[in-house]
Amino acid sequence: MPYELIAILMFSTMMLLLMTGQRVFGAIGFVGVAAAMLLWGTGGSDIGFSAAMKLMKWYPLLTLPMFIFMGYVLSESRIADDLYRMFHVWMGPVRGGLAIGTIGLMVLISAMNGLSVAGMAIGATIALPELLRRGYDKIMVTGVIQAGSSLGILVPPSVVLVLYAMIARQPVGQLWLAGVMPGLMMAGLFILYIAIRCRLQPELGPPLPEDERRVPMAEKLRLLRAGLLPLAIFATMMVPFVNGWTSLVESSAIGALAAFMAAVLKGRMTREVFETSTRQTLAISCMFMWIILAALGFGAVFDGLGAVRAIEDLFTGQLGLDPWTILILMQLSFIVMGTFLDDTAMLVIVAPLYVPLVGALGFDLIWYGVLYTITTQIAYMTPPFGYNLFLMRAMAPPEIGLRDIYRSIVPFALVMVLALALVMIFPQIALWLPDYVYGK
Amino acid sequence: MPDFALRYIRLIEAFNRRVGRIAMYLIFVLMGVLLWSSISKTAFLPSLWTLEMAQFVMVAYYILGGPYAIQLNANVRMDLFYGNWSPRTKAWVDACSVLCLLFYLGVLLYGGIGSTAYSLEYGERSPTAWRPYLWPIKIIMCVGIGLMILQATAEFLKDICRIRGVSF
Repeated sequence: MPYELIAILMFSTMMLLLMTGQRVFGAIGFVGVAAAMLLWGTGGSDIGFSAAMKLMKWYPLLTLPMFIFMGYVLSESRIADDLYRMFHVWMGPVRGGLAIGTIGLMVLISAMNGLSVAGMAIGATIALPELLRRGYDKIMVTGVIQAGSSLGILVPPSVVLVLYAMIARQPVGQLWLAGVMPGLMMAGLFILYIAIRCRLQPELGPPLPEDERRVPMAEKLRLLRAGLLPLAIFATMMVPFVNGWTSLVESSAIGALAAFMAAVLKGRMTREVFETSTRQTLAISCMFMWIILAALGFGAVFDGLGAVRAIEDLFTGQLGLDPWTILILMQLSFIVMGTFLDDTAMLVIVAPLYVPLVGALGFDLIWYGVLYTITTQIAYMTPPFGYNLFLMRAMAPPEIGLRDIYRSIVPFALVMVLALALVMIFPQIALWLPDYVYGK
Repeated sequence: MPDFALRYIRLIEAFNRRVGRIAMYLIFVLMGVLLWSSISKTAFLPSLWTLEMAQFVMVAYYILGGPYAIQLNANVRMDLFYGNWSPRTKAWVDACSVLCLLFYLGVLLYGGIGSTAYSLEYGERSPTAWRPYLWPIKIIMCVGIGLMILQATAEFLKDICRIRGVSF
């Protein structure tokens, strides 16, 4: 059987098995080892375990449980609640101001953790009910929180960029810095969209009523202090790292400790919070690690087949496409795949396929890391499979149905596509900061 | 449902839960190792052992915690269709597809035992300055994968219980 056919067969078997609703890692792992044994007999049986050894040696992966722990400490201990209050009071009087404030909140939370879970949890449990009570349009609000929390994987520290760094063999520090400007730009575009939309349709985001606006100036200034906390946590983590005193992994441990200490000092680290965040960290870390483990085995078989080479040859040789067309096609297929593939699985399966191809075409891999992350963000939100969609459904109040969630993301996904296009056309948006810091 | 099956489920669940609860706290061990690493690096000579020790702790963390994560229902599933099925249909499909999971874990264990045997026989060491022996972590991995298999069989029996309407 030709190798391309085997590859397609493996892929479709995996999709089919995933549809049965079996645990994702089980489905991917099964197809991987079964294919290995069919292809190479008992010699193929080691592929599963050698993936585990390979996984052990991926040093930056140690940051994963640290950032997850950090995120859970932040969301469970509710030390970020004051942050919401701050934006509420300062932004409330503006039309659509609470929604704009929520985007600001998400940027700050993103700077404290590397996944979208924490932003989602805080957004859905604190911001969402408040905004609905103030008469904000539920579809817009749902979209705001989903789009805003997805910034968590673009603004440093970012777990997705860590995974990308390992696959592309690029320095994580530069990738993180490259994510800063596009992340802020995207937040700016979201805010612009909300502001324009609320100007045209004021009923979507009414300003706060008179009596709620009368907050004394002293109180307002006191609330501003809440903003110091994320900055402090971010600084304790990033300053030693950027100066080269600690490695990335060590910095993540410092960040986790800082978040933990902040919760303790604020008297919010109760027994229950401690239990939930420790247990959830184990649960989510295990979920990630087992999927990556299974996907590595699957990927090893794919590599063994030379599937990447075959695809590369198909595009550049036989079809004779120029690099930009291929890049755009890749991003499009990435988005399409993201809509029906599980995102974590997509990350680990698709990236090893695409990244070498991008490198071979002569593009900057740091820049592509940003494109890759933005595309993942879009995939995170688009139905029917989206990590954020599932989370949103689990966390949102009952009056928000699945239809509302699906409809809410449309405008924000379009804004993200615009951001993607901007970074593609103007690579300096991503590359300026790392070039400046590392003095290229 | 035979009595021993129910007892088997309870025994495995209780045992894996206990192991998982202990593994859960390894995150603080990991944090401690990494913090020590950064302190020793800035204050005096960097330690040789921290990097690999952290990796070993991480592996033990997710492999030993795996069965407990299954109990917590942490593993994502694609619920496009799955989400709309009745509990009985879910149990039926799960009971069949969990066999795939068992097969995967079985191959994983088979490879693991082979690799561990090699490490023990030749005293395999990691090719770094610290040069730790690799067999201890490999044994932990095999034990963890074994526990995953036990948990998966318990899941299978639980699905059978659900199909038959027996509470467990």
